[in-house]
Amino acid sequence: MDRRRADASPQLALRTVEFHILLSLASGERHGYGIIKDIDTRGETAVPDVGTMYRALARMVEMGFITTASRRPAPDAGGERRNYYRITEAGLRVARTEARRLEALTRAARLGGLLTKASK
Amino acid sequence: MRRDALVRASEWWFRLLVRLYSPDFRDDMGDGVVETYRDRAKDALNRGGVLRLTGVWMRALADSVRNGPIERIRPAAWWRRGGNWGRDAELATRRLLRAPGLVLAMVGTLAVGLGTFAVVYTFVQKILIEPMPYRSSDDLYFVWRDYRAFFDLDRGWLAGTDVAELQKAGGVIEEAAGLLRQLATFSAREGADATEISVIVTSPNLFELLGVQPAIGRGFTRDEAGPKRPAVIVLTHELWSRLGADRGIVGSDVRLNGEPYTVIGVMPPGFTFFRNASLGPPQRGEAFTTLNVNLAETSPDAGSYGGLIRARRGTAPGTVAAAVNAVARIVDARDFKSRGLKLYPLGLKRDLVSGVRPALVVLGVAGLVLVLALMVNLGSVLLARAAQREHEFAVSRALGADGYAVARATLFEGALLGLAGGLAGAVVAIWATRTLVALAPLTLPRREAIAVDWTIVAVVTSVGALLGLLAATAPAIWTARAKLSSLLASSAVRGGGGHARMRRSLVVAQVGLSLVLLSSAGVVARSFTRVLRADPGFNPEGLLTLRVPMPPQLFEKPEDAYATQARIEDALAAIPGVKQVGATSSLPLTALSNQTTIRIPGAPGNTGNKDRDAPLVDYIGLRAGYVEAAGMRVIVGRAFDKARPAGVREALIDPLLARQFFPGTSPLGAKIPFGNNNQTLTVVGVVEQARLYDVHKDGRPQLYMRVEDWSYRTLAFIVRADRLPSSLVPEVRAAIRNVDPRLALASVQPMDTIVQDALRQQRISAVLIAGFAFGALLLAAMGLFGVVSGSVTRRRHELAVRLALGANQSRILGLVFGEGVMLVALGVVIGVPGLYAAGGLIRGVLVGVSPLDPLTLVTVALGLLVVAMMACFFPARRAVRIDPARSLRQE
Repeated sequence: MDRRRADASPQLALRTVEFHILLSLASGERHGYGIIKDIDTRGETAVPDVGTMYRALARMVEMGFITTASRRPAPDAGGERRNYYRITEAGLRVARTEARRLEALTRAARLGGLLTKASK
Repeated sequence: MRRDALVRASEWWFRLLVRLYSPDFRDDMGDGVVETYRDRAKDALNRGGVLRLTGVWMRALADSVRNGPIERIRPAAWWRRGGNWGRDAELATRRLLRAPGLVLAMVGTLAVGLGTFAVVYTFVQKILIEPMPYRSSDDLYFVWRDYRAFFDLDRGWLAGTDVAELQKAGGVIEEAAGLLRQLATFSAREGADATEISVIVTSPNLFELLGVQPAIGRGFTRDEAGPKRPAVIVLTHELWSRLGADRGIVGSDVRLNGEPYTVIGVMPPGFTFFRNASLGPPQRGEAFTTLNVNLAETSPDAGSYGGLIRARRGTAPGTVAAAVNAVARIVDARDFKSRGLKLYPLGLKRDLVSGVRPALVVLGVAGLVLVLALMVNLGSVLLARAAQREHEFAVSRALGADGYAVARATLFEGALLGLAGGLAGAVVAIWATRTLVALAPLTLPRREAIAVDWTIVAVVTSVGALLGLLAATAPAIWTARAKLSSLLASSAVRGGGGHARMRRSLVVAQVGLSLVLLSSAGVVARSFTRVLRADPGFNPEGLLTLRVPMPPQLFEKPEDAYATQARIEDALAAIPGVKQVGATSSLPLTALSNQTTIRIPGAPGNTGNKDRDAPLVDYIGLRAGYVEAAGMRVIVGRAFDKARPAGVREALIDPLLARQFFPGTSPLGAKIPFGNNNQTLTVVGVVEQARLYDVHKDGRPQLYMRVEDWSYRTLAFIVRADRLPSSLVPEVRAAIRNVDPRLALASVQPMDTIVQDALRQQRISAVLIAGFAFGALLLAAMGLFGVVSGSVTRRRHELAVRLALGANQSRILGLVFGEGVMLVALGVVIGVPGLYAAGGLIRGVLVGVSPLDPLTLVTVALGLLVVAMMACFFPARRAVRIDPARSLRQE
């Protein structure tokens, strides 16, 4: 199923967890726990479980949105070695498309009166 | 301290939880998952102590229980669980592409081998297996007269009355048709160029009987036969195309022997029909007309009709035979005073292909043996490749790779090679089949249908893939089974031992197979050289032959024909370079002649047995000068003189008749009753048979008479010149046209061509089987080379020690050659039962050679040995050139 979606079109909505991962990696390479902490600081309530996130990572590696970067010591884990992930060109494109889609949705929501002026 | 223990316990817990995921996911992501949990656990400890940590544990449990099983049923993961075939395929391809030389050699070998197999398969399929292009063709039979109660002929034409009786029979015999064949002078219009065509003169129900209707126009109606029948003709698509493929031809008149016939129909393309012949090859019909007699009113003695019947659908052959037998009893009682004439049916197809069947079966089996040899060869190459990689296997298995993964890779390689070889073989076969059909005997049944089609391509490709898989089985099993420790140990000292025994057995098998093929090819070739050296009773060199049809419509009185024949002879003799000219009613090796029984009252050889004293003979008309021109040998007396004596009808007999009737005495002057009104022939000489059927053996006895004494019209002329026969053709054509422009010229060809045509089938069989055998020999030599050379490499250390300890070169050579000779000897031993099996099969296609001809067998065995020596030569040379000091230092 996941394969089929990947083959079809990147314009299909990404899962929330996938978008969050791409968003985290867009600003640089990170390891697994790094991504989770990044999502946490973004203030979204639904921080993904570790399993959920790694399944998403595996999927996105398969789809070519991200790749594994080198394994190296992580300063934020007491210098222990960690697997780092990096976003690919394709991943960046997909993330941008998704962001634009969300922006359009938000604009529509505002025009539809779902969002108040104050929240601007 | 407590903190560290907690972290370790957490890690243990997380590792346990990760097991809920599929192995593939664990391989890729497991470490990451555990590390991330651990990071989170440490964070929790730092921030809230054990309570917080327990929360993390619980969350991890819930997370894994939820995500693990879901991950397992992901389709992609399912697909991978049984092993990654896609990756195997990719790996196998990449590995093969890294050795393009080997792939090219293997695919090339397979292409040639499988191509040959495909060609043979095509011939067998199209000739022996595929049904004829008629409605339920298995229900069609030709019926023959068995005269053996009277004389030695078990396949005689039917009389018209027999056919009429079959038509009346009913029951399981649904339809019956009588068929004559006429070689007729044909022209599209009056005055147009005349050619000779082969016309089937038939009962009007032929096309209904076959279940095929004309594509243009109509077939015959039931009343379009008999003495007052309209002159109508149906053309084959082929003849119609030759005439210009004009649809408007239906309704117009063509000329057959000078008489107008109205074209009423054209058969569909692809329709062919042969009248199976009593003797000689089946006769093709190029056009069809109807009988101008009532079959029931013909003479029961004159056997000249082909009898074709259709049995009720699905009737067993035994039942058809019984029905025909019932008709035979009526005929025998009415026309033969119950002396034992028999009729019997033979399936149309079986009858048509009976001549080529033995040769095809032999070739088919030889093709299979070759494929077997190929498989063994491929197997040993794959095994060698697997052995080269055993270190790689050992390491990957030590690192935890599944034994089956390694086996799978080998299987894949085999199948891939086989598939590529099969495809290439199909392409080879397309061309080879075309070439071979062009070379095949013109009388080869179903010649027009023989071509590679898609089913054959599919069969050959799958045979290739299957063969590759089978060939890879042995090495695959070996790699999967081999113990890890032994793999690592043997690979440490380079070139393992476990596979060597298997490779040796494969080579022994190869030698055995090639022995069978080689000896079969040897005896077939010997048989063929015997046929080639056989003396057909005449001298074909430098002879040009041509037929000049002289239908009664053009030459009303026989005397007109004789005069024209004489003028043709003179005109041919006047061509520069022509030395001798002759004319006959039946050219040698064409199987075209008439038969009758003769008696010679008063001859000393008569036994008193009425049937034995009346042998069936071929009688042939000659013009004076033919015996000399053809180079036939006169044994006693003389041939025909130019001047024809008045009041005497002269005859020549062959040694068979001379021996039977005049043992020890001279037949000259003997009188043979021949023809009506107490006419007799007087024997003036004995001549060697100019063989009519086979190059290598006498046919039935021959009786020659003068053309003028038996009203022969259409004759074949022979021209002997001191020039190349084919260079005479234009002048010959001009000469005939000068004599009479209405005359058609048929079958202008050198006598050599006729002889070669008669030998075609044997030649093709010999060439093909020799090719198979050569291929098998090459494969065996390659296998032997591989094994011996591999063993030299493996034993280099041992050989170096021996050399260092003072073994001389001859001892080392002996070791290497000894191994090769032993393998060949073993192969020869296991090949012997195969020899016997093959002997039984090829006996039928041999002439004058035993299938177990000792000379051939010994030659083949020695030849194999020589080839084995050659295959061992290079490894042996390498062995004696080993530098002990260097070699030992390296180890």
